[in-house]
Formats: sequence, C-alpha cells, structure tokens
Amino acid sequence: MIKIDSISKEYVMGDNKLLALNNVNVSILNGEFVSIMGSSGSGKSTLMNIIGCLDVPSSGDYFFKDDNISNFNANKLAELRNREIGFIFQNFNLLPRLNALENVVLPLLYSGKNQKERNNLALKALENVGLKDRVHHRPNQLSGGQQQRVSIARAIAGSPKLILADEPTGALDSKTSIEIMKILNDLNAKGITVVLVTHEDDIAKYASRIIKMKDGQIIEDKKNVPN
Amino acid sequence: MSLTDLIYLSQKSLRSNILRSVLTSLGIIIGVSSVITMISIGSGARQEVEEQIERFGSNNLILRSQSSSNRGVSMGANSINTLTLKDMEALKNELPAISAIAPRVSLSTQIIANGNNWLATVTGTTNDYFNLGNWKFELGRSFQDDELDSGSRVAIIGKTVQKNLFGTDSPIDEVIRINKVPFTVIGLLDAKGGTAWADLDDTIVVPLKTAKQRLVAKKFPGDQIRSMTINVSSSDLLFKTEKDIDTVMRKLHKISANGNPDFVIRNYAQFLNARQESSRVMSILLATVAGISLIVGGIGIMNIMLVTVTERTKEIGVCMSVGAKKRDILLQFLIESLMISLIGGLIGIGLGLGVIFGVSEYFNWKMSLDYFSLVLSFVFSSSIGIIFGFYPARKAANLNPIDALRYE
Repeated sequence: MIKIDSISKEYVMGDNKLLALNNVNVSILNGEFVSIMGSSGSGKSTLMNIIGCLDVPSSGDYFFKDDNISNFNANKLAELRNREIGFIFQNFNLLPRLNALENVVLPLLYSGKNQKERNNLALKALENVGLKDRVHHRPNQLSGGQQQRVSIARAIAGSPKLILADEPTGALDSKTSIEIMKILNDLNAKGITVVLVTHEDDIAKYASRIIKMKDGQIIEDKKNVPN
Repeated sequence: MSLTDLIYLSQKSLRSNILRSVLTSLGIIIGVSSVITMISIGSGARQEVEEQIERFGSNNLILRSQSSSNRGVSMGANSINTLTLKDMEALKNELPAISAIAPRVSLSTQIIANGNNWLATVTGTTNDYFNLGNWKFELGRSFQDDELDSGSRVAIIGKTVQKNLFGTDSPIDEVIRINKVPFTVIGLLDAKGGTAWADLDDTIVVPLKTAKQRLVAKKFPGDQIRSMTINVSSSDLLFKTEKDIDTVMRKLHKISANGNPDFVIRNYAQFLNARQESSRVMSILLATVAGISLIVGGIGIMNIMLVTVTERTKEIGVCMSVGAKKRDILLQFLIESLMISLIGGLIGIGLGLGVIFGVSEYFNWKMSLDYFSLVLSFVFSSSIGIIFGFYPARKAANLNPIDALRYE
C-alpha cells in the first residue's frame, strides 16, 4: 500500500541543517498494524507526516497505492488526505465551536457529500466509537477519552484505507488508553491499515509490526505478536 | 463545499465572538450610514429646490418697500410704502428683460362666511400674480378684465381658507365678508402646501383696484403698493436684471448709489442656491466621513481577520489534515470577512435610516431616500469585506498544513 523509497527530509534552521530523515526505505502492506517507535527527535513524527501527506520529502519517492505522490500539488494532496487517510492526534484537535457531529462531518464537507449522506455517515461513525448519545456535545463538554473517540470517528467517517495515529494515548490515562487501542484494533480487524506513532512500549505492542527509529533512520523493523 | 456550508461555518465562528464581530464592523456601520445620509441629503435638497421653483415660479425677483432708516429712526417694515404703480410702469418700460410684473397690496384681516371666522392674508393684485406664482385653479376662474378695471368685489381663495370657512363644500358663488365688505368667491386655488415659515394656502386674492378702494385705502393711498413680483424672461438675466432694477429704482427715488435704498430686492434663486450650497457642503463633509470610516473599517476588518487567522492557525491545520483545499480555507475566511462587513452594512443602513428620519423631523430638511443608496451601500460594504478580507484569507490558505498543525 505504501512504499517509501530512499526518502530524506532536511530542515534548515538558521545556519544549521537538520536531517530529520536520512535515506529511509520502508513498505507498509494493506491491512497491517504498524507501530513506529523512537525517542523525540528520532524522526518518527516526520515519517508519519510524510506518510500522511501533510509534509513532503526533500528527496526520494513516496508511492501511495500505485501513485508516486512526490510530485502531487497541494490540492491533490488535500484530496488524497480527504479520501484515503484518517488522522488521530495526541491532543484530539477537535474544533471547539463545533459539536461532536459537526466535527465528524468536517472531512465529509470537504469531499462534497450532500447533507443527508454526510450526516448518516457521521452518525454511523460516532455509533461505531460508542458515542451515539453524545453527538450534540461540544468538545469541552466531553472527557478526554470521549474527545479522542470523536476524533477517531472523524478519522473513519470517510471510510479511509489508512489511519494515522500520532501518540493517540499520550493525553489519556491508562484505562482510557486501553479503550482507544481496542477501537484501533477493531478497525484494523476490519481491514483498515493503521500506523501508530508512540514512544510507549505497552501501546506499541498492540501492533503486528514494530519499527524503531533513531537519528532519522530505521534501526529495527520486526514482527510482533500482539498480546 | 457548498456556499451554505461555508456560511454556516462562518456564522459559527462569528457568533463565538459576537462583541468582536460587532466592534469590527463599527467602521462599516458609520461609513454606510454616512453614505446613505449623504445621498439622501443631496437628493432631498435637489428635490426641495425643484419643488420650491415649482411653487414660487422660476426666474422671479421680489421688489419690496423698505422703511429707510437714514434719519436714525426705523419706521418698521410696514410703516411706509415707498413703491408705486408708477415705479412698476417705469421698470416695465426701461428693462426689456422683464416679461411681467405682478403688483401686490396686502393686509391681514378677519374673514366671515358661512357663520365661521378666519384670519387670513388678503392680497390685492392682477392676474399676473397667478401666472408668476405658478398658482393653479382647482375650481372657478381668474379675474376678468372688467372685474379688474371696475374694482368688482370678487375673491379667489386658497385651500386653507376654504377648509376653515366652508369645510369641503365648494366655495364658488358663496359670499365672504372681508373687513365687513361682502365679496363673491369666483375661484379656488390648488393646494401648494406649507413651507417652513408659512402656509401658502392661507390666502385670499382680490383685484388690486378693489383692494385699494375698499380694503386698504388708508394703508396704501394713491398708487402706493406693498411689493411687486418681477418675472425675468430668462434665468441668465436674473442677476443682471436685479442690478438694473436697483439702478432704475435709485434713479426714480433719487437715491445715490451708496445711499440707503427705500426698497429691497429679493432674489429667490439666491436663497435656493444658498440652500443647495449648504447641503452640498454637508454632503462633502459626510462623504469624507464615509470614505474615511469605510477605509478605517476595512483596515479594522483586515486587522481582526489577521488576528483570527493567527488564533485559528491550528484549526486551519486540522481542516487541511482532513482534506480542506486552499480554496476551501480562502473562501471560508473571505466569507467571514464578507459577513462582518455585510452585517455592518445592514446595521449602517438601519442607522442611516434613523439619522435621515431624525434630521428630517428635527431640522425640517427634506431628505429623500432612494433604493440606489441602499444598493450602493450594500455594494460598498461587501466590496470592503472582500478587498480587505482577501489578504488574511490568502495568508490562511497558503499555510503549510504541517506548520499550521504544529502551531501552538
């Protein structure tokens, strides 16, 4: 599904050049559940942003499905994100003025679905994460776990093939973290590819494959049997 | 993303900060209300001038007696009538630019008819009076030559007099007593309406000779008259003729060029010009206020939109991450600034209407409101919103998704 072909990413900060990714090669197959681990500054978030088409590599090629998207423009990348990728963030990143339903509807709004269709899809997504009775609550009226479930609903509302979760449990207690990871597991069981970025071993172990990074390079890539 | 969705999202974020939205649109509110007020003052003044010309006739000068105070004692406006019918004939003969002159004597007196009492101004004059003053007849007729020559006791009355003496009944052929002298009503004048200073319809007109013989014989002995309305053949000659009349009158009354005249010439056009000029000055003032406040308002919108874009950088990143294109972000912020300016425009229209109403009530100025000014202010405010909202919106749309997402 994803093929990263000798991708490097360089940041220029004043006079210093920072090589966030150094010639990374990795492929992720359809239906995999991959954890990317590493300490801060290891390049795991940069890799994740490039996979998520939020950032573009300085060199190398990125194939999504069969498209080489290294030369996609901003609008085509936006379309790709909208259609194929769902994001889950550490801080949920919900829009504070919109209620749960409206937050989940947001990606469907940009894909141009009509109102009836997108409301149905959003309600179904909220139902899937167990928030059917909270659709009209605003983010500040929901607990952290509930907010994260709203953001998962937002990520899956458009039926993407790939879900990217950037430290999804970073702001949650351990009990809620387990709930969230269970939901991600269920989604993966339904055939959605999940890529998870974390620095916690417990969380990484939910995945079937663990990639460890250090200094912009992959230092370990092995199968994992989820417990 | 459809327009309704964009408007929905925009009103959500505007409502989340209502006070700020209203304060932001303040410049537009003041600008738009000034535009509306300015236009209606301008067109109201023009309309009023046209109406006044319609009412009083165009190209008229009024020549009136004036008590001279050269002996140190002012005798009061009515105490001496220095004008005579001889003056009138002389002016007619000497100045070919004069096309007609209507002489006038007048008194204010008690009228009795139909068991009712009324105090009205009675004018003695000729038929020229009706032509020069643009008087139309609702009923009846003007004077016949033999009535003018013989001094018949016939009268033509205005609407106010009719209303107070006869109600809505026709006054034609009725007898009214002016100063106890019975007159037969032969005509009823069309209503002209009031001005700020007088009710023009509160009038009774009788033949000059009749008035001089039976009503004002003591006040206007011999061929003395109170005033004359002088019609000039063309408006270009109005000011020159005014000067010529002065020269001729000084010669007739043996007054030196720098002596105190015993007459006064009123140029009605001059008054109208002054009126038009003052409303023009007012309009320019308002246009300046409008222009400045619209620009300041626009800058205010731009400023707040820039703040909003910065505040919502992370949100913009979120929207981009779920698939918002540049165009979606651009449109959303553009519509937000458009909505601020349109709301300002609407409030401004309301305020402008209030000002127009207040000014026309309080100052008795004629203000006229036309749809053009409403459309203009709508176009004005929306273009301000778009022009000044564009830069912040473009700034938002050009954000890099990952930078926006990471913004704290």
